[in-house]
Amino acid sequence: MSVTNLLENWSEFRHAHPVGDVPHDPYKWAMSIDLDACTGCNACSVACYAENNLPVVGKEKYAAGHSMHWMRIERYWPVDDTTSLEPATREFPDQGAQFLPMMCQQCEAAPCETVCPVGATNHTPDGLNSQAYNRCVGSRYCSANCPFKVRYFNWYDYPTTENVWPAEMTQQLNPDITLRSKGVMEKCTFCVQRIRAGERSVKNEGRVLKDGEVQTACQQVCPTGAITFGNLIDSESKVHQQWKAQRVELTADEQEKDKEADSGLRGYRILEELRAYPSVMYMERVRESAI
Amino acid sequence: MYRFIRFAILLMGLLSASSSFAADAHLEPLTTADDLGPVVEQPIEFPHNRHAKDMGINCIYCHTYSRRGNVAGIPPMQKCIGCHQNIESVRETPRIKKLFEYWDAKKAIPWKKVHDLPDFVRFNHERHIKRFVFQQNRPVQEVCGACHGDVKEMTVARRQKSLAMGWCMSCHEKEHVVVAQGGMPIGTAAYWYAMKKPAVKADGTVVAKGPNDCSSCHY
Repeated sequence: MSVTNLLENWSEFRHAHPVGDVPHDPYKWAMSIDLDACTGCNACSVACYAENNLPVVGKEKYAAGHSMHWMRIERYWPVDDTTSLEPATREFPDQGAQFLPMMCQQCEAAPCETVCPVGATNHTPDGLNSQAYNRCVGSRYCSANCPFKVRYFNWYDYPTTENVWPAEMTQQLNPDITLRSKGVMEKCTFCVQRIRAGERSVKNEGRVLKDGEVQTACQQVCPTGAITFGNLIDSESKVHQQWKAQRVELTADEQEKDKEADSGLRGYRILEELRAYPSVMYMERVRESAI
Repeated sequence: MYRFIRFAILLMGLLSASSSFAADAHLEPLTTADDLGPVVEQPIEFPHNRHAKDMGINCIYCHTYSRRGNVAGIPPMQKCIGCHQNIESVRETPRIKKLFEYWDAKKAIPWKKVHDLPDFVRFNHERHIKRFVFQQNRPVQEVCGACHGDVKEMTVARRQKSLAMGWCMSCHEKEHVVVAQGGMPIGTAAYWYAMKKPAVKADGTVVAKGPNDCSSCHY
């Protein structure tokens, strides 16, 4: 990258959204997750392991805080009496569990990006929060600054660690994505390898991607279709229509649902008040009954 | 006084750091001083000059995956045999005899990789061939040669360029014509390069740069 290019196009580098003068064009990848449809089956998480070459670290390493799961299902249990400070009578109630799939929210003004000392994590013009593994030096500052705690660190060189991938399983690794080495940070990429492959094929045809041509692994396997992924700019896309129906704005820090009571809207984004402007909209649960 | 001690400790640290770095010197350097890659010994000394220069065979005829895949790949042996079973004049030469030995034994020729990128880079042949051969209507040997050097003058191919990121960017930062005279039109629908709309010059030519975003190649 020459210095002249750097100076001429300075506004394009380290370009944090939302800004009005540089709108996303032609893509802004976004997601919406219907928590009412989510059954907490963990299929998305498994698909993510398979698609993105994630190591299964095991119980001991997990207990040591070396967890590694780009897509995780968070569980929330109802408390018997919300006013009481006493601990719940039972650790796991028979029913009423609520699930929330949690992955990198691909924030438009991502807190992780600004703190990276080497610029390994950047915002892409299509609205992704990219992670260049070969540039990462493993300071873990991004993880410390991530409000969603969705960045995972390679504490070991997993490809060479015994029992992570038994020899016969190396054939099932995805060749389209890097095998991360020890000392680098990683996170959900919105299956960037699928997006790039899709972009390449439509560039040959001289057009842009249509809705449904790129699916993320988690979306593909979700049995209830709770996860929708697509191009937020494309008004034909399902994700655009869902965001619109829920009146969720990418550049707002408070959504309609929270402004007025009984609006009937369900769309919100997590920790919106932090103004990270996430790209994932969740639709809150309606059902009272448990699964 | 303490300043000198501090300085001495710093020097010692630097020395030990540099010596421990030198201990890793068994790793081959990525590039040589003149950007020439190492000499690669192939199982058969394949004469690129005979095929590409004397016979004038199109690069893409044998390296056929370059126009439809990420990796150009090595042609299957059927490609060699397909022609050579009909070329009696060279049938008894040592290299062709060796080729048919592999063929009769039903074994693949263990070619070695010459242009090997690190695993964290995703290079796509298809887009480069589509863009420069088909849309810009440039000669194939010129397009392939931009990265692979003048292969028609070589026997066994040898890496000619550094293939380092800065070298990639030196071309990606230039503005290239999208469709040149005689090139394949790409339709009226919108298309983007480098995730940006191509720019229109004063004389009406449409130009675009190559992608320069980290996640275009590193993921």
